[in-house]
Amino acid sequence: MTEPEQAGSERVNGGLKMMSRATYVREALLKNLFLLCAIVAVAAVALIFVFTIARGWEVVKDPGLAAFLGGAEWSSTLGRFGILPLVAGTLAITLGSLVLGAPLAIGTAIFLSEIASPRMRSIVRPAVEMLAGVPSVVYGFFGLVILRPIVAEITGGMGFGTLTASVILAVMIVPTIATLTEDALGSVPSGIREASYAMGATTWQTIYKVLLPAAKIGIIDATILGMGRAIGETMAVVMVAGNAPQFFKGLGAPIATLTSQIVIDMSYATGTHKTALFGLAIILFLISMGLVALVRALSRLNEKKA
Amino acid sequence: MALTGCTAGGERQEVIVTGSTTLLPITEVSGEMYTESHDGIAILVSGMGSSAGIESVSKGSSDIGTSSRELKDAELELGLEDTPVAYDAIAVIVHPDNPVSDLSTLEVRSIFAGVITNWSEVGGPDLPIGLVNRDEASGTREAFSKIIMDDAQFDRGAVVLPGTGQVRSVIADVQGAIGYISLGFVTDDVKAVAIDGVEPSEATVVSGAYPVQRVLHFFTKEDLSDIARDYIAYVLSPEVQDTIVRDAGFIPITAKEAVGD
Repeated sequence: MTEPEQAGSERVNGGLKMMSRATYVREALLKNLFLLCAIVAVAAVALIFVFTIARGWEVVKDPGLAAFLGGAEWSSTLGRFGILPLVAGTLAITLGSLVLGAPLAIGTAIFLSEIASPRMRSIVRPAVEMLAGVPSVVYGFFGLVILRPIVAEITGGMGFGTLTASVILAVMIVPTIATLTEDALGSVPSGIREASYAMGATTWQTIYKVLLPAAKIGIIDATILGMGRAIGETMAVVMVAGNAPQFFKGLGAPIATLTSQIVIDMSYATGTHKTALFGLAIILFLISMGLVALVRALSRLNEKKA
Repeated sequence: MALTGCTAGGERQEVIVTGSTTLLPITEVSGEMYTESHDGIAILVSGMGSSAGIESVSKGSSDIGTSSRELKDAELELGLEDTPVAYDAIAVIVHPDNPVSDLSTLEVRSIFAGVITNWSEVGGPDLPIGLVNRDEASGTREAFSKIIMDDAQFDRGAVVLPGTGQVRSVIADVQGAIGYISLGFVTDDVKAVAIDGVEPSEATVVSGAYPVQRVLHFFTKEDLSDIARDYIAYVLSPEVQDTIVRDAGFIPITAKEAVGD
């Protein structure tokens, strides 16, 4: 990171440099303004976390931790709030989206970073970035209207379920994984690349034997962040997953996830049911914290190695 | 408390109506028309679900609680007055090309419980049944469950969709699908099947022959304001019943009285 310097080459922290009082005040104000921005962001996360815990921790009393974490049935009308089918659903859909989406995204990143001509890159990269900007309800609608009948044709069911949701999510996580993978490939020193070509390696050999191993941890990071995106996605999933809180019964069978169940239930939940929904939110928080921690640990490993 | 806008010599008086989303087409339109024709009175309508409506009127935070279901045992003690405002039938719908056009209550129950899974078991083609259910917040699901399902549980593998329109569009699209929606929402895209040989229609609902029907309610407290009373009288008048209620696909509450039921 290079700091943008002011015209007169005065630096704020260089206490000995000459600086007019007005400049000093402006600099100090700006510094505090940015600090405030950072504090607001941190405070928002902390507040949401504290609030969610405060509203959800009582799941340990009712329905009880064992019934909540180990229960195999989620049914508000029967008063059963077991999250296993929802966790299984989230896992199935996330795994499916990674299997389909990660190779697609990594392939796209390799193409952009190593193969595409600048002209080609100027077309493909904005297109990939556009994918990130499409609202999730549009993905969901596309999945419902276009993809669902095709999946119904293939699986023989109604087309709601794991496969449809996975395909939609796969496309949704492509920009996350592709952008970060491209960064990882870009940060491989070009000397390594040139050395490989100098030794007579082909493009494919260079990518497969040199670049991918060198950028491995960055690519894993990218994939984990894409996974986080898939786990947290709600709207598109609600529209195509079928929302039946049951264990995986095949690619074409309806399924519910942690996030979709919260959306379906939140409008009318009261009492224990509401507490259980906040309990789901806590679980999602923990998963997301775990993924972030994993990414940080991997980055540290990468730095040490480098 | 009812007249919250009554601070400066009655410049603007309000009637707060909260509750069922099913009733929104009635309450919203009639509320607007009443507000337009009565200077200084505003009917404020919101839809938060039947349970929320009943709770809100009993706590005094709204004047009228609307509900698409009956009071539960615990709610009977709240001392609420019940004014039925319309009838609604729940139609069991299938794809228009489905040759099955008549099911018994028991067959419908077995289908939704996941016991019958192929149309050939109820005289149709060899085609797997695609179950479409509503979410558990739905008053329609609750009424359907009470009338049809008895003590049987819904098949947990059914697709759950959070809206009437979604249920209809999916069933219009999938050959083997079956679901249920309010009769007022049935269009030519789907086919409503007869239950125990009775087609859902205004006549069969009024005569009581069609079994899957329910009453839509206004619940109020005893100390109701005169304006709120007048608004309820307006909703029950032919002016609303024959136009707004019918346009929304419901059956006027007056229809049964007319045939002397």
